[in-house]
Amino acid sequence: MSTYNYVVTAHKPTNVTHSCVGNFTSPQELNLIIAKCTRIEIHLLTAQGLQPMLDVPIYGRIATLELFRPHGETQDLLFIATERYKFCVLQWDPEAGEVITRAMGDVSDRIGRPTDNGQIGIIDPDCRLIGLHLYDGLFKVIPFDNKGQLKEAFNIRLEELQVLDIKFLYGCPKPTIVVLYQDNKDARHVKTYEVALKDKDFIEGPWSQNNLDNGADLLIPVPPPLCGVLIIGEETIVYCSASAFKAIPIRPAITRSYGRVDADGSRYLLGDHNGLLHLLVITHEKEKVTGLKIELLGETSIASTISYLDNAFVYVGSSYGDSQLIKLNLQPDAKGSYVEALERYVNLGPIVDFCVVDLERQGQGQVVTCSGAFKDGSLRIVRNGIGINEQASVELQGIKGMWSLRSATDDPFDTFLVVSFISETRILAMNIEDELEETEIEGFSSQVQTLFCHDAVYDQLVQVTSSSVRLVSSTSRELRNEWKAPPGYSVNVATANSTQVLLAAGGGHLVYLEIGDGILNEVKHAQLEYDVSCLDINPIGGNSSYSSLAAVGMWTDISVRIFSLPDLNLVTKEHLGGEIIPRSVLLCTFEGISYLLCALGDGHLLNFLLNLTTGQLTDRKKVSLGTQPITLRTFSSKSTTHVFAASDRPTVIYSSNKKLLYSNVNLKEVSHMCPFNSAAFPDSLAIAKEGELTIGTIDDIQKLHIRSIPLGEHARRICHQEQSRTFALCSVKYNQSSAEDTEMHIIRLLDDQTFEFISSYSLDQFEYGCSILSCSFSDDNNVYYCVGTAYVMPEENEPSKGRILVFLVEDGKLQLVAEKETKGAVYSLNAFNGKLLAAINQKIQLYKWMLRDDGTRELQSECGHHGHILALYVQTRGDFIVVGDLMKSISLLIYKHEEGAIEERARDYNANWMTAVEILDDDIYLGAENNFNLFTVRKNSEGATDEERSRLEVVGEYHLGEFVNRFRHGSLVMRMPDSDVGQIPTCIFGTVNGVIGVVASLPQDQYSFLDKLQSNLRKVIKGVGGLSHEQWRSYSSEKKTADAKNFLDGDLIESFLDLSRSKMEEVSKAMTVPVEELMKRVEELTRLH
Amino acid sequence: MGSILGDLPSYDPHNFSQIRPSDPSKSSKMTPVTYHPTHDRTLPPPDQVISSEAKNILLRHFYARSEEKLRSKRGASETESLTPEQVRKHPRSSTSDARL
Repeated sequence: MSTYNYVVTAHKPTNVTHSCVGNFTSPQELNLIIAKCTRIEIHLLTAQGLQPMLDVPIYGRIATLELFRPHGETQDLLFIATERYKFCVLQWDPEAGEVITRAMGDVSDRIGRPTDNGQIGIIDPDCRLIGLHLYDGLFKVIPFDNKGQLKEAFNIRLEELQVLDIKFLYGCPKPTIVVLYQDNKDARHVKTYEVALKDKDFIEGPWSQNNLDNGADLLIPVPPPLCGVLIIGEETIVYCSASAFKAIPIRPAITRSYGRVDADGSRYLLGDHNGLLHLLVITHEKEKVTGLKIELLGETSIASTISYLDNAFVYVGSSYGDSQLIKLNLQPDAKGSYVEALERYVNLGPIVDFCVVDLERQGQGQVVTCSGAFKDGSLRIVRNGIGINEQASVELQGIKGMWSLRSATDDPFDTFLVVSFISETRILAMNIEDELEETEIEGFSSQVQTLFCHDAVYDQLVQVTSSSVRLVSSTSRELRNEWKAPPGYSVNVATANSTQVLLAAGGGHLVYLEIGDGILNEVKHAQLEYDVSCLDINPIGGNSSYSSLAAVGMWTDISVRIFSLPDLNLVTKEHLGGEIIPRSVLLCTFEGISYLLCALGDGHLLNFLLNLTTGQLTDRKKVSLGTQPITLRTFSSKSTTHVFAASDRPTVIYSSNKKLLYSNVNLKEVSHMCPFNSAAFPDSLAIAKEGELTIGTIDDIQKLHIRSIPLGEHARRICHQEQSRTFALCSVKYNQSSAEDTEMHIIRLLDDQTFEFISSYSLDQFEYGCSILSCSFSDDNNVYYCVGTAYVMPEENEPSKGRILVFLVEDGKLQLVAEKETKGAVYSLNAFNGKLLAAINQKIQLYKWMLRDDGTRELQSECGHHGHILALYVQTRGDFIVVGDLMKSISLLIYKHEEGAIEERARDYNANWMTAVEILDDDIYLGAENNFNLFTVRKNSEGATDEERSRLEVVGEYHLGEFVNRFRHGSLVMRMPDSDVGQIPTCIFGTVNGVIGVVASLPQDQYSFLDKLQSNLRKVIKGVGGLSHEQWRSYSSEKKTADAKNFLDGDLIESFLDLSRSKMEEVSKAMTVPVEELMKRVEELTRLH
Repeated sequence: MGSILGDLPSYDPHNFSQIRPSDPSKSSKMTPVTYHPTHDRTLPPPDQVISSEAKNILLRHFYARSEEKLRSKRGASETESLTPEQVRKHPRSSTSDARL
């Protein structure tokens, strides 16, 4: 039963809702602070550009974000208010490098109608008070005392009920607000009020202005010396103050955002709904406003926020496209644009629909999203793990090892690829035609297996076999020296770097050699009590060609030991525990931190921090990578060193922000890997897998890869068809060139490899594409695309007409083969028992696919079910139909074959406004609703009475804080059938903020364990701004608030891995579970996404 | 005539001076550290946990009026030359008078 669910973010929100600039982290540093709904990001302005400093999760949806500086402070403070009526004032403590809370509180009222136009939070420019407009007819004041401390908040009655914007005016002796509002005749006006703090009331302000532009929606307060306010309308812009009134007409546009350029407020950047950026100039003489000027600068993403940074650089935050860093040039370019885009920051929001497909047929899901809106609409292909781009491959069975070698010590490129087999060694090299061909290194023995190879100093190469170590000239390729194993001993494992060789022979013999010019010197021999299973002397100290430490893995006592070189003295011995021997050890450095990695025979990997001076091993961690033995190798990509763990589940180990991360490589099984950086294949890897040797380059090292396909139009529904290898979209094209904005709805067919449009079908005027499905019908082998539409007429409240269109893909073209008129909007289509199930306004309707006498086909209505407000989201399983209603939560219907009827079986009687539904299993259904909550309901088949059986019982509740538009079954990661995590069913969701998340249904014992971990973590990881995690995740709607149940916050649980060792130990103590065990269990969960 | 974008503000001339324009078709990939505070200063000083005045806005208005009534009975000199009638009919103008 999928009662117990774990919710985790695979892709964080990227929709930028707010941004501001100020001296937050130090009086000298200029910061850009960005809000992405439930997170803030702090950036530092540097010579190189924007440098990200910190990503701060906020336990709330950010409603307002402002930087301000109370009197006497040298740094700015950050004011944040959340949609659930909490606020906090944050300060950066530069010494501790921590965000501390100066003040926080709850500003909710027990009675009050939440504002329709969003919450407003503003700070008086002279820091006398914070003003909030949260409920209609009320203005909340949080006063500052003269020391900058906040005092008790109070409400003032605000007569204007339909408020569009409120701002503080600059340069007023008493704090003064300007209110833009709409009266009951829909006319818009502005009015000013002074805030009398002592009397807790308003006083009529110095001026007002009636009958503004009907589209006036935004106020921009102008700082001294000019003061006053700019009122931005759709057709006019007005400057207004007690003494002046200036207006200019503008080309019709909806201004969505503004950014002040000059401190004196004479220039502003305005961003409109089409992504056009304008400069608004207030012309003035002797501090007296003489007029306004507006100039088109160019095009950006559709901006939700604009922040002028410094030296002509501007940050454009977007909700509908990627955010940007732009530069304003003095002179326009050839196209007349002053705007130069320098950086793009990915934004997946709003995700209105997505599908999960396996395009590369590797058994791994990729998510293809309909992202962005209007002209910034795009498809995004989101894939987990690191891909290998194959350059060349040959069939080669039985590879036992691979090493690349250079033809001279100072050659920047590798020439030879040594491939070892059980009883021979073959050498491949790049020829003049840049082809890989077999060659010979005469000094090597080729009739035996090679245990290890390496470049050595003085243009030499080293080959270790079971009987000897051979030193060969890399230029003449001739043997220069040989060290022979004593008779009766055979070398089992060996390692080398450019000046040292370490090898182990049976009976616990450890031999250390040093490489000279034409000579191998046996420097030291040690006798260990057990046999050696693996070795490493990768030089990670100051000297890049000499290691003063050796790592040795042992049989029998299952330990890993550190020896000093050259004397082979034992420095550290660490017992690994368990019965699985170490198979590969590696000394490595990530981001300046030294580690010892130790891979076991069962696919587990241990890592330790290594102290290079003392050789001590600390902070042991264990993760499970696969189930087969792992071989570790380092490689470089973009001049950073990473580790490749070859196994049944190949993984790249890398470090980000001084934390080790594990990313899947999108290959099924890799037995060996070695870096092969040749002139023809620079920065490549040679990979041995499944009887094949492949040379390929590797993707950028990161967990999620996102590819963008800009469409220039807004894709709203997507669906994939395996048989025709195509995607189909319902898309809207906006035409902004004509005087009036028009839109056209189109069905697009895309190739699933190139993502090019290969065919289109235009819908009628006023006809919207609402749903799309790829399906087949009983008694018909074809696979069709079915599209549900609605005629959205301006005079109708709800569409009364729509169509179902059935297309066949023939020769890459969409061929309409059938159409059926419907009595409303077709909100959803599902394949159902070889028939087509449609949700049409209030009704669920089932259609049969009938063969006519003339051989053509048609949809014929079979049966239906009435009784919904609007049936928006439908999922099916067998004969069961789960419906998500506009406002009546979830209901369960059943199709009765014999009677040819659909009946209601049960429903949830709560009044939830649904945004998505999914069936988790036979009995548990998952829903998302418009207050950003998730909930699960259970079918109660065993109920004693009909009444009980007809009720879907709510079993889980959780505040996600995200607006979910779609759930889909599937997984972003390759599933390992024999791992614990591989057994956990998952479902993916996509949200307005661009979040991709995973809901994983856990077994009860795992849930209980993690529930306990979550409550212990709440005590250790504090909410920024003093906000409570428990309250944040509590289910919350207008009607009720209830503690989260049967859902866990995976983001909190997985942040366990980011804790310092001492904090982990604190949690471990409270849990009475060892740190290592906790880490392993949490690390496994991170592999769900 | 100079450009409309002339004399753009410069707070620190070094900022963005060495920026290398990246390929605009590729997005920036720098990821900041995620902050998980474990210190105790996420809670503000006790006097800075702000709540709203418990008194309802209407009750506050009544109290204010009755107080003013009381004061006006004691003698016009210490109130601010207000009559209760004015308070009842024009609360807004009465407070504006009080300001003077």
